[in-house]
This record gives sequence, structure tokens and C-alpha cells, in this order.
Amino acid sequence: MKRLSVLFFFVMGLFCLLLVSCFGGGQPMGGWAGVTVHEGVIYAGSRDGKVVALNASAIAENASAQALLWEWPEGTGTRSLIYTTPVVNGELVYVGTYDGRLYALTAARGVERWVYPRSGSIGSIVGKPVVADDTIYVTSSDGRVYALDITYGDLKWRSEPLAVKLWTSAAVTDDAVFVSTFDGWIYGLSKDTGQKLDWSYKSRAGFASSPVVYKDIVYVGSFDNSLYGIRIGDNEPVWRFSAGRWFWAAPVVGNATVYAGCLDGKVYAVEANTGRKLWEFDTGKPVVCSPVMADGALIVVNEAGNVYVINPETGIGERIENASNGGKSTIGVQVKAAFCAVDGVLYVRAEDNKLYVVNVAERSVSEPIPLTK
Amino acid sequence: MWDLIIANPVLNVLIALSHILGSSFGLAIIALTAVIRLILWPLTKRQLKSTKALQDMQPKMQELQKKYGKNQQKLQQEMLKLYKEAGVNPLGCLWPMLIQFPIWIALYQSIMRALATTPENLLDLARHLYSWDVVTQAIPLNSHFLWLDLGARGDIFLAVLVGGTMWVQQKMTQAPAVDPRQESTNRMMLLMMPLMFGLLSLSFPAGLGLYWAVSNILGIVTQYFVTGGWGYLKFRSPLPPKSSKEKRIAGTDRK
Repeated sequence: MKRLSVLFFFVMGLFCLLLVSCFGGGQPMGGWAGVTVHEGVIYAGSRDGKVVALNASAIAENASAQALLWEWPEGTGTRSLIYTTPVVNGELVYVGTYDGRLYALTAARGVERWVYPRSGSIGSIVGKPVVADDTIYVTSSDGRVYALDITYGDLKWRSEPLAVKLWTSAAVTDDAVFVSTFDGWIYGLSKDTGQKLDWSYKSRAGFASSPVVYKDIVYVGSFDNSLYGIRIGDNEPVWRFSAGRWFWAAPVVGNATVYAGCLDGKVYAVEANTGRKLWEFDTGKPVVCSPVMADGALIVVNEAGNVYVINPETGIGERIENASNGGKSTIGVQVKAAFCAVDGVLYVRAEDNKLYVVNVAERSVSEPIPLTK
Repeated sequence: MWDLIIANPVLNVLIALSHILGSSFGLAIIALTAVIRLILWPLTKRQLKSTKALQDMQPKMQELQKKYGKNQQKLQQEMLKLYKEAGVNPLGCLWPMLIQFPIWIALYQSIMRALATTPENLLDLARHLYSWDVVTQAIPLNSHFLWLDLGARGDIFLAVLVGGTMWVQQKMTQAPAVDPRQESTNRMMLLMMPLMFGLLSLSFPAGLGLYWAVSNILGIVTQYFVTGGWGYLKFRSPLPPKSSKEKRIAGTDRK
């Protein structure tokens, strides 16, 4: 019977060990706030809940130690994780946090000008806010779209709950705001009042990416591994393009072509009006952040941290090699956050909480710059 | 390899079931529990047969108790002989549980992945999904079922349900002890296992607790009908637990 007791405790101990050590069902949270560059200043969100402003010139001159202009919040304080890429408009920088607040910081010093709501929170903000005219539009995990005055943060309107949660960004046109939801709806809202317009669209599967509107067609990726082109006002899609996995990142539209990165590792170019595939480029790893058009080239960064420069006409491209890490990967670290391209230079915030500067023309990668200590 | 063989199939089957059962993740967990119980039926059936045999042996066991009551060693020998004749294995109840370990782990991972309560989890979910229409159209899942948030922790009522049903199921199948020491072990197991699973239910997502509760209830119902009753639920052991004085004396004797 002593053996039975020993066996019993062994089994229980094994069970507890398995429960504690073998479970990998959840991914660590860290946010994936990306990078924005405006008038020579780099604004980046860090994985520990800060927004950092860096002098781009100092970085270009290899004086990264003197590049820091400000960080918010200051010192060791943090607010909350940040998933939204900072948005710059005039003298203010806007950032939404996972604890449900939208902050407006002064671009010069990173001082809080206003916060919405002034008390409490509205639900986690994951989708990047969008500025149009004098209004900033933000989606929230409470399922609503909020329209705020960009100068004072006053609420202009908030929509009714459109979904259980909204983690995608809104697309704003001249007279409407469009949002995609996880349960397969695309809603058009009045830009002035936030009321639902007469038209909405229901798909059989939920929408994974933020919508992009170009010439009355909404382009959006879905959980059924497809990219849709839906004309505003229609009940059926103009076209549906299927791939291997979700189209997670918002597509980019230019030259009557939709360029979309997919979690199957490929970048697809399809005709904007017909959905006919023009070419595909295989990067080998999921493409999580949206491609960027810069200086006539399509720049793609995949999750493995590889940077590709692709000819948007032909789909022929090449990877930017990095000799310093033995050519394994351009950046050598995972990348999920949105990146920015200015004057032939890419600014990429990687999952190691560092900023990487990639010179496209010279095919070179800088030493990484830690965003926070 | 783990993802390929166990975790991903469980995840995708759960999501598919959820879509088929009216977008209810809770019903999908219940359905999967029933399927797993069905797969483990041969093992469970053997265990239940042992229990039934033990129940039938009760008069003989009482005879042995009367005959060898004062000679614990002889009583133990005769009881073990009786168990062997009836094909009863005292450790038989552990095997179904051991086999279910990988299922529990896969289920925990599936719940965390499928419910995707954080942006990182939602992004990670993509790499584990099959391209079945029934799966892609089910995303994202609804985490609410009855009063439960299947991704949340700390539901006390569920923890009590898990612990209580486990206690009942164990009590129904627990073979009588052959000596006071085994009686002590039995009592400990009867208390520790339900307590531990109840506490674990508080610490893990409610979806896993739901699986355990439903599994226990199915086990109770199955046993009731197979063995024709509540088994040892109302059985009180004739053996007293060792008192502290007896334990001290036994220790002295060994010296």
C-alpha cells in the first residue's frame, strides 16, 4: 500500500508538472505599436508601453546615443501596452492604449495635451486611429467607433456597438467612415453623426484586416483566407481572392492594383477591379504588417524580420541581406509592428524592442537602437 | 510534433463542432467530452466491471472480515486473493486518467488559442487552423456559455461542481480497503483528488473546468446504469482509520 501512495503522489506530481510547464496555449503580450516618421522625428511605440521620439538625423549620423528627444511616460512609468502606431498631425501625436484611452501628446516634448476619456476607459484600443480634417476616429474593444476633436479631445460622436469588439482601424472617405468586424460585417457610418448608413455588407466569415477604400470599393482580408473587393452599395463582392491563410494586414492600393501581404508568407498583387492575380512573391514566413510603397518599390517585411524590395509591376524582388548576422535574416528578430519608409530609409520596430534602420538603396542595416532601457 | 498530432486536431475539431452546434463553444466542449468518453469506453468498461464484481463480492468480504478480523495480515492476504479471483485491480481507476493527460493539455491549449482573448493570441491562432470552411467561418468564437466565460478563471461554482462530481464518481468506484493503512490512503485520495481538481478549475480557464465537470457527470451516469446503482457511494468502511496512538505503537514495534 506504500507503493500505492508513492504511485499516487507520483501521478499527481507529474500531472501538476505537466500542467505548469508544458502549457503553451497563450502568447506573451507586448503590443505591436509601429513607427511613424514626421518632419525628421521618429515616433515609435515600445513593447513596454512607451512612445519614444528620436531624432532621425542623429541616427543617420551614427549618433544614436544623442537621438532621444523624449519618451512618454517619463522614467520607469508605464501606462499600458500599446498596439496602435502613433499618428502625427500638426503638433500632436496620438496614441491609443490597451487600457482603453486615447492620448494626445505634444510632438515637441511628449507632454499630454489631452486624454479621452478624461476618466475611466472605453475598452482596449488596438486599431490605429485615423485623422481626417479636424477629427480623429478610433475603434475600441467596446465595439464602437469614436469621433473626437483633434485639438481638445472632445467627443463629437460615438457609434452604437457594431460588434463585440473592434480591433481593426476605420477607413475614412470624404463623407463616410467604414469599419470591418470580426463577425463579418462592413458598416458605413455617417462622418458627421456616426449613424449607420443605409448600406452594410455581411460576409460568411469574419474580417481579419482593416478595410481600405479606393474608388468606391472596400478591400479587406477575411478569416476564410480570402481578400475581398466589395463595391459600396452592393450586396455581393465584386471579387474574392483566395490564399493559404488569413490576410491579416491591411492591403495597399496603387496603380489600380491591390498589394496584400498574407499569413501564408506571400505578397499578392491583384487587379483592383477584377481580383485577377497579377503576381505573387513568396517571402517564406507570414507577412503580418502592411507593405509600403516607397520610391517606386514595394517594401515588405515578414514576421521573420526579412526585408524585401519588390518591383510592383513585375513582382520580382530580392531580400536585403545583412552580413552582420551571417545572412540569416535582414533584421534577425521577429517583426509584427508597422514600419515606415521615408526617403529610401526604413524604420522598423522589432520584437526585441529595438529600432532598426534599413537603407534600401545601400542595402544596409544599422545597429539596433534600444527604444527603452 | 505535439501540435501536428494532438493539439491542432483537437483545436480544429473543437472549432468545427462549435460552428456545427450553433456557434456555441460550450456545447462543442461538451460534445468533445462525450466523444473522448466514447473512445475511452473499453477502458472504462473494464473498470466498471471490476466495480460490479467488487459489489458482488461484498458478502464474501464481510465473511472474511468476521473470520480474520483480528489477524490483519491474514485478512489482507485473503482479500487480495479475492480481488485477484474477481479480476479487480486497485490501480485500475488511474489508467483512464493518465491517458487523458494529453487530452487535458491539448484542451487547455485549444481553449486559450481558440478564444484568442488577446491580439497576440488571435494572430497566433492563424497558424494552427486547417483550411476547412467549417473552421474559417467559425472564427472568432463566442466565449460565453450559460453563466460562464470559458476563457476566464476563478468561477467558484464551477470549481465546486468539478470537485463535487469527482468526489461522487470516486466514491462510487472506490474499492473497500483491506486494511487500515489502505483505508487511510483511500480516504486521502477521496479528499485530495476532488480538492485538487476543484482548485485547478479555479486556476485554469472555465472551458477546462467545464470539460472536467461534464466528464465526471458522464462517468457517474455511465456507472449508475452499467453497475445498476450508486456503487460504494453509501458504503461506510468497517475499518476505523488509524488513531495517532496506534500509529505511534506501530512505529515503536518497527524499532
